[in-house]
Amino acid sequence: MAEVSKGIAEKWGLVVDQDRCTGCNACVVACSMENNVPFTGEDNVAFGRGTYWIYNKRMWEGAYPEVAPAFQPVMCQQCGSAPCEPVCPTFAAVHSEEEQINLQIYNRCIGTRYCANNCPYHARQFNFQDPDIPEPMNSYLNPDVTIRRRGVMEKCTFCVQRIVAGRQTASAEDRPLRDGEVTPACVAACPSGALVFGDLSDPSSRVSQMAQNERQYKLMDELGTRPKVTYLKGGGRNGG
Amino acid sequence: MKLKKPWWNQPGIQIASVLVALIIVGGIVGGIFLTQTPPEQPIAFPHNRHVAIGASCLYCHTGATLGPSAGLPGIEKCWGCHQQVQKQSPELTKLAGYVERNEAIPWVPVAIQPDFVHFKHSPHLNAGLQCSACHGDLSKMKVAEPQKGQNMGWCLQCHKNTAPEQWTKLSDCATCHY
Repeated sequence: MAEVSKGIAEKWGLVVDQDRCTGCNACVVACSMENNVPFTGEDNVAFGRGTYWIYNKRMWEGAYPEVAPAFQPVMCQQCGSAPCEPVCPTFAAVHSEEEQINLQIYNRCIGTRYCANNCPYHARQFNFQDPDIPEPMNSYLNPDVTIRRRGVMEKCTFCVQRIVAGRQTASAEDRPLRDGEVTPACVAACPSGALVFGDLSDPSSRVSQMAQNERQYKLMDELGTRPKVTYLKGGGRNGG
Repeated sequence: MKLKKPWWNQPGIQIASVLVALIIVGGIVGGIFLTQTPPEQPIAFPHNRHVAIGASCLYCHTGATLGPSAGLPGIEKCWGCHQQVQKQSPELTKLAGYVERNEAIPWVPVAIQPDFVHFKHSPHLNAGLQCSACHGDLSKMKVAEPQKGQNMGWCLQCHKNTAPEQWTKLSDCATCHY
């Protein structure tokens, strides 16, 4: 974890407002469609081999009959000091210096699964099988994202294909990226606006403003992973 | 007394070495054949003649400045000119056949990248790169020929030499792999 000494480099960040999340799972569906996340089927999910780049953690609060669900969408936290990176023997889990996110380079990955074992967030998914995409289903595939084969680790990339496309469009039009121009699929799909994505290095961006909120916390911040995802505490205490 | 043959005369060793040699030679020949020879095209399109009369690459490969894929021309594009000019040639008879049947020409892409490489034409052309920098000098080729050694080292070498000030961005894995 050599990056600790380099100082805090910030680029892309995500804010999850738990007061706004209704647990509708639209983010999970949008993510699977955008990123060609394979359908593994009931049996594999029962074996703990389901692949979801983002999952909605549901907790029940209160005692029966006064129970209410609390939702916490969890995706790769894009740690500034990621536990998955130093353990990869093939440098398939690498840190992007330009975008300040964690990348998974599928063609380098040999499937040791060290990274998933070292990830405290359960954000990494392993392909135990080749994806089964029968004939009419291949039309839904996103050509911008590689289809991962068996034996390859995968995870949320903050929709890096959209980041790169946005960056290239902006540079073709000779202007800087605007705030809110790049949105990952989960953010674009969220109907209640619980997810906000943007540039943390720009203090005036919406995501930077929201990350300053008094309700903010980070998942397992005490581990020193420096996650790029900020959660805003829910529970209806702050009018949600 | 039976004489023991030296090890290189043992039939097992000889057969095994011939098999290994055949596999290696087959691999080399197959590799060269699959990657370095121009594939069979439905119409032997003469690039050199079209470049010589001053046709721009972008006239047929329209997508190059706009998106990831440069695109290959369809029958409307070809027939737009050849309806009027130069009708008599065996290759153009094939084109007329495709037009008559209202069928897409099944061009075989020559410059291809693996699935895990997301190459995009538009940023390269917007950065002022010439087509010939990667595709070779088409004014000297008849059908398009694959260029040798288009691997990651070759990509990175060009990124390093043409824009060293943007090396962080251009050497980032996410620039091509995602």
